[in-house]
Amino acid sequence: MTELLQYIANGLVSGGIYAIVAVGFITIYRVSKVINLAQGEFLMLGGMFTVALIGVNLPYGVAVLLAILAVTLIAIVLQKYVIAYVKNASALSLIILTIGLSTLFRGAASMVWGKDAYALEPITSNNPVSVAGVTIAQQGLWILATVLVVLLFLKYLMDKTMLGKKINACAINPMAARLMGINPARMSMIAFAISGATGALAGIVIAPLNVTSYDVGTLLGIKGFAAAILGGLGNPVGTVVAAFLIGIVESLGAGYISSGMKDAIAFLVLIAVLLIKPSGIFGERSVGKGGL
Amino acid sequence: MKQLLGNWGKGFAIYLVLMILYPLVVPDAYFRSVGIVIGLHAIVTIGLCLVMGLAGQISLGQAAFWGIGAYTSAVLTTKYGLSPFVTLIVAAAVPALFAFILGRAIAGLQGYYLAMATLAFGYIAQIGMTEWESVTGGASGMISIPTIPFFGDTETGMFYLIWGIVTLVLLFSLNLFHSRVGRAFRAIHKSEIAATSMGIDVRRFKLNAFVLSGAFAGISGGLYAHYMGILDPQPFGMHESIKFLTMVVIGGMSSIWGALVGTVLINFISEGLILLGEVIPGLKGDLDTIVFGAILVLIVMFMPEGLVPRLRAIREKAQAKKAKGKMAPAPSTQSEQATERKAIP
Repeated sequence: MTELLQYIANGLVSGGIYAIVAVGFITIYRVSKVINLAQGEFLMLGGMFTVALIGVNLPYGVAVLLAILAVTLIAIVLQKYVIAYVKNASALSLIILTIGLSTLFRGAASMVWGKDAYALEPITSNNPVSVAGVTIAQQGLWILATVLVVLLFLKYLMDKTMLGKKINACAINPMAARLMGINPARMSMIAFAISGATGALAGIVIAPLNVTSYDVGTLLGIKGFAAAILGGLGNPVGTVVAAFLIGIVESLGAGYISSGMKDAIAFLVLIAVLLIKPSGIFGERSVGKGGL
Repeated sequence: MKQLLGNWGKGFAIYLVLMILYPLVVPDAYFRSVGIVIGLHAIVTIGLCLVMGLAGQISLGQAAFWGIGAYTSAVLTTKYGLSPFVTLIVAAAVPALFAFILGRAIAGLQGYYLAMATLAFGYIAQIGMTEWESVTGGASGMISIPTIPFFGDTETGMFYLIWGIVTLVLLFSLNLFHSRVGRAFRAIHKSEIAATSMGIDVRRFKLNAFVLSGAFAGISGGLYAHYMGILDPQPFGMHESIKFLTMVVIGGMSSIWGALVGTVLINFISEGLILLGEVIPGLKGDLDTIVFGAILVLIVMFMPEGLVPRLRAIREKAQAKKAKGKMAPAPSTQSEQATERKAIP
């Protein structure tokens, strides 16, 4: 029983990270109908920038803030000069474009930082906390807290603010939004900025728990993508639940079956779910209309 | 058929001459081995081109089919002593079966699902190759896979065997492109709804393209295993899948010749980058990753149709200009591009 709870606790921590990535995916997707396969690289860049900035003797907090800012800027530049440039491209081209961007970032990171793995100091001490036989790293609690704050912030932003309403308007009907004086291109840029910032933050908080290196983004990105699809692409609540489910399933798989098979189990579940219920577990019927 | 041969007969003749002369004129074995690798890649990319150019879908896990083919043939020959000629057929069938199962569920769907499923499948396959140690030898891989006895085991014999298969695959795919099936595929690519309303079974067509690409990748993988003689899971990951994708995209995914040209081009770029990597000391990372990524981005931004269709369009424009100068009638439709435009107004 303790064992099971332990696995679930581990799963919740990684699931939280997937949730941030997945919400980043759908934030962009809803507004611009672009699946940004480079989303995972935002996490990698966030972690690596922080390590690099701490390496030049900046205080932890400053390094984190600068890293988030840098990744947000990169995301904005991406939207403004690359994604917006090909705005009439087919979904197929957009997949190729964003997978190309992801590859480019990964290659660039490997050039700049090499292929070594870097460790980032945890926010508080390394000593794990133990509750009812379940041990969890302090950083794990930080991750969960961050995830909670980010998700609540996004929910507040989308539901309660004017900006959120504008973004939603563009997601529902860009033409009508434009007639109301909202600039869809600008909203798309803001969506990219939000995804970049939250992605970078996720990359930073997870870096102390695992190590960070030039290639951590790919797998995190794909897991997040998987959660976004399982949740029905565009349904934030479903996406978050799906992300936690993926985290828990792979943690259970790693514990009870084989740790080497961890990632395979998560993906097998994904494919199985797609086979049984193509629109995702919480799917809306209109999903997947990515124009393809 | 005759008209078709007329259309791409000249290009095909040039291809044949180049292919036959290549191993005879290159200075050393290194270039021959590069030629062999290009051939192996070409079989995969032509298959991928069918999925992308015809069915308008994307596979981000083509290297997994390649790897499954390689391991199938390697295991059957080393552990069960079967002849490579038999195992190659199995090597085509097994990945095709995987593609069928994967595609059967996914191909009818729209959007990003096949991208996601193939991406995930690529990971699962590579993990499977690493973890199933009793059969695949795990991360350390397999050794002493028998070579294929074809014209006495020489590198040149292997070259002609592989390029012979490339030629068959090429002819098959070109014919498919120009047949009723090909037109159906292109109709799907343009508009699925329109295609469906014209009585095309979109789901079946997409599935067929995907299964075919799996079979092609499997044959190529089997040949790769016997050519290399050793195997490990490392080359069958995402990096290789992206490389295949880059080859198809740079050449032009709406053209089979484009896939072939792209394969040659990317392989030479790869070789160039390896040389460059040796020249520049302190180079820490993957030069090729950054270059392939940049190529994918730049092509989508500035030349979405790809190299071969772009060059063809330029040539046609020049011809049209010439014809106009002579006051001659407009040039007949000479290329895939032109026929396509005529077929689908």
